Amino acid sequence: MSAGSIPSGSQIRDPGYPTPSENYLTNSKGILSWMFTLDHKRIGVMYLIGVTTAFGVAGLLAMLIRLHLFQPDGMIFQGEEANNWYNQVFTLHGAIMVFLFIIPSVPAALGNFLVPIMLGAKDVAFPRLNLCSFYLWVFGALFFISALCASGLDTGWTFYTPYSTTTDSSVILATSGAFVLGFSSIFTGLNFIVTINTMRPPGMIWFRMPLFLWATYATSIIQVLATPVLGITLLLLIAERTMHIGIFDPEYNGDPVTFQHFFWFYSHPAVYIMILPAFGIISDLISVHSHKRIFGYRFIAYSSIAIALLGFLVWGHHMFTAGMSSLTAIIFSALTFTVSVPSAIKVFNWLATMYKGSISLTTPMCYAISFIFLFTIGGLTGLHLGTLATDVHLHDTYFVVAHFHYVMVGGTLVAFLGGVFHWWPKMFGKMYSELGGRISAGLVFAGFNLTFLPQFVLGSRGMPRRYATYDPEFAFLHQMSTWGSLLLGIGILLAFVVLVCSLKYGKRAPANPWGGATLEWECTSPPPFYNFERAPVVGDPYDFSNLEWDTENERYVTIEPEREVVPEEQPEAAPVHAEDSN
Amino acid sequence: MFSLNKNLPCLLGDEFASKFQWFPEAASTFSQENDWLFWLITWICVLFFVPIAGCLFYFSLKYKKPKGEKAESNTAHNTPLELAWSILPSFFLVGMFVIGAKGYLNQRTVPDGANDIRVEAAKWKWDMDYGSGVINPELHILINEPTKLSMRSEDVIHSLFIPAFRAKKDIVPGRYNHMWFEATKTAGKRVVGKKLADAQKENAGQVWNYDKWQFTEEGYRFFDLYCTEYCGKDHSVMQSVVVVHETEDDLNAWIKKVSKRGSDVSPEDWGEKLYLRRGCTGCHTVDGAKRVGPSFKGTYGSVRPLADGSTVKADENYVRESILYPKSKVAAGYQPVMPSYKGLLSDDDIDSIIAYLKTLSGDTPATPPAGNADTESTTK
Repeated sequence: MSAGSIPSGSQIRDPGYPTPSENYLTNSKGILSWMFTLDHKRIGVMYLIGVTTAFGVAGLLAMLIRLHLFQPDGMIFQGEEANNWYNQVFTLHGAIMVFLFIIPSVPAALGNFLVPIMLGAKDVAFPRLNLCSFYLWVFGALFFISALCASGLDTGWTFYTPYSTTTDSSVILATSGAFVLGFSSIFTGLNFIVTINTMRPPGMIWFRMPLFLWATYATSIIQVLATPVLGITLLLLIAERTMHIGIFDPEYNGDPVTFQHFFWFYSHPAVYIMILPAFGIISDLISVHSHKRIFGYRFIAYSSIAIALLGFLVWGHHMFTAGMSSLTAIIFSALTFTVSVPSAIKVFNWLATMYKGSISLTTPMCYAISFIFLFTIGGLTGLHLGTLATDVHLHDTYFVVAHFHYVMVGGTLVAFLGGVFHWWPKMFGKMYSELGGRISAGLVFAGFNLTFLPQFVLGSRGMPRRYATYDPEFAFLHQMSTWGSLLLGIGILLAFVVLVCSLKYGKRAPANPWGGATLEWECTSPPPFYNFERAPVVGDPYDFSNLEWDTENERYVTIEPEREVVPEEQPEAAPVHAEDSN
Repeated sequence: MFSLNKNLPCLLGDEFASKFQWFPEAASTFSQENDWLFWLITWICVLFFVPIAGCLFYFSLKYKKPKGEKAESNTAHNTPLELAWSILPSFFLVGMFVIGAKGYLNQRTVPDGANDIRVEAAKWKWDMDYGSGVINPELHILINEPTKLSMRSEDVIHSLFIPAFRAKKDIVPGRYNHMWFEATKTAGKRVVGKKLADAQKENAGQVWNYDKWQFTEEGYRFFDLYCTEYCGKDHSVMQSVVVVHETEDDLNAWIKKVSKRGSDVSPEDWGEKLYLRRGCTGCHTVDGAKRVGPSFKGTYGSVRPLADGSTVKADENYVRESILYPKSKVAAGYQPVMPSYKGLLSDDDIDSIIAYLKTLSGDTPATPPAGNADTESTTK
């Protein structure tokens, strides 16, 4: 059988295309129909626009940082206030990227769109709460903008006391923003937990859920359990600043390290809020584009939950040099190593999935491969930091900066881009330029490595973080890094252009352009506003045996053997035994 | 096993190694231990990463197939294999953890009889207290002897980092944090003679430019010392240097030289030195420009408005009070952020600073600012 032909004697199952009145993008019109929508897909799209905007702003700030560091004495910001400018820019870069982009990126933007459809449900459990969480995100963003307009923010995104309780900048506005964003995150998590627990259609047992849903579920648990701690911490910080309650500020008998404990009790699990959904995306992308069953489904699913739980126990590794007792530090170091095992399991499973698969090097697959490469580096360099003796030297240096950018950008951002390219045809019903997409993946990969590999060396050589100016001996590596960031910027811009152009010039997308077996591919592209007319028949999400490439229409279709639904021959009017009695 | 880290630079070639040198000089007892562990972990990572990346790219090309072709296999799982790759790496992890924890305990356990130096960190300066009122921003220690730092912060969290020693510790306000290390080599031969004299001449009247000269004002080669906990505006210039002395005599000679004003130094010159050395320059200029704090130019003798609305004449007692209790009378338009120098400057030091301030106001207290362009030359 040649590739791409439909075997004879089989029926094709394909939902076709939606009518404009069914298409969720066009079934109702006007700005109000978007602003007050309860459709999880529209909310997902609004989130996508929101987080992309935030990413654009924070990305430009990142370019300013890199350009400034092109020269040891600083290139962009000049004059008396140069260092202040630099401090504000790196603070806002971090705060916007973390609170406004990475945390909501995959769960809120892609998750909102995908969770109900993948699950086979019509919507999330609480559609109004869902819309509310989006508006909380917008309010949080407004707080950040107002902080920026008031007197800026120069505390670093971590708001460490007592600097944050004594600085003149708008700490209260920014922390209020983060507080509100925390609620947005909690609402999303709560919604997904309830949806996944209660709204699975018949047949959708836990172990038939796509791994993206497992990852989202694990993420939601963290969002619901950890984010309230951040809320309380930020409220205490505001109280300390305004009323001097004496909990964090040593001038009033507080302890600044207490703030770090509280802060990282949220913010370390938050790292997993950022990376777990990325794992989910990659598990699905690797399997679909290798057209092969995911290897070790249960290990991947359990490791997501294991990471979510272990992630709560390792926050102390952010404070190895802060003066905790040696025993505490040693315990945290040991716990930190345990969390590396589930991540390693996933990498091995993805590779095993690709082994003997039928790999299509599509744009999403290029991003997924790039993710595995970059995330592995990010994960492995975590070992240097988890090891106590070496961490003492590397703590708060560029080594740390490089490490977490490999995880957050090389991991989450690349997975997010991969996910957007993967589900773009489903979301907007358009195919994009494959060539442009693949070039963007290559540029992002090359630019990213050029930006952050030199930073590992910078850190080992002792270059501290958050320096607006630096010793001339570090200049060469900083310049390499800056050139890399320009390349990375061009790559991301190209990805953006490719996607936006597809909206106008792209071909109409079939229901199943990649050959996925999860339920969202059984809807039309874009899906109808009601997702499924009736509860779908739930099959194995990673069984690709019934999917065939339809060369003529450039789509994958599900085939079924031709079946006789009703007997063709007319049964005799008289029963057979009637003859016998005669 | 120590050969691991020594071999690597050779593998990369000398020229490459110097440009991409991975670590700063190894100059303490921790350095070697630390670098060795670092390379051990790195090689273990390479051991895992190369096969992973190799498989990744090999599979991507080898199993690339046209659309529609089926996968060669659809194995769902293989429990022994999965258990193997879950459990085997754990042995490596345990090894790293144990070696790392041992090294850490060693770095945190201060040996008895270590030389104690008190460190006071403040925005954005270092004060190393050598006892008997000798305070200097540079850290001077003895070779092959354990040195203990007892550190406290005046304001926010700082962190003392000496890359060459692989040593770092945060300095948290409201408590003492300690660290220790033992230097095993000096940073190089002391610069003497004409080269030093030329540098001193060219640098006169400005803060010593360590980056440019690569030796201290007294000609010592140094290791870098950084603040690595973000502490505000001038975090990135909150740097100092570490000088390792070969002999105790040499160290004592240096301490004697910087301890107090010599009989051959005028108070004005000494005041300027203190201004340049002791962290005043971060906030106060002498050319009239406004920074975090008011400029010293024309300060002495002027009548200045205070933040609470009253005014005060900047005489000797006002300057003295502002140095010792900076928050008691804050000049209008400025934040009360200056750390107190109480106990950090002797009476003679304060007197010298006042003398220096007088030169910046042209010695005539009655006519305040009136920009005396030639005042600076009188100090030289």
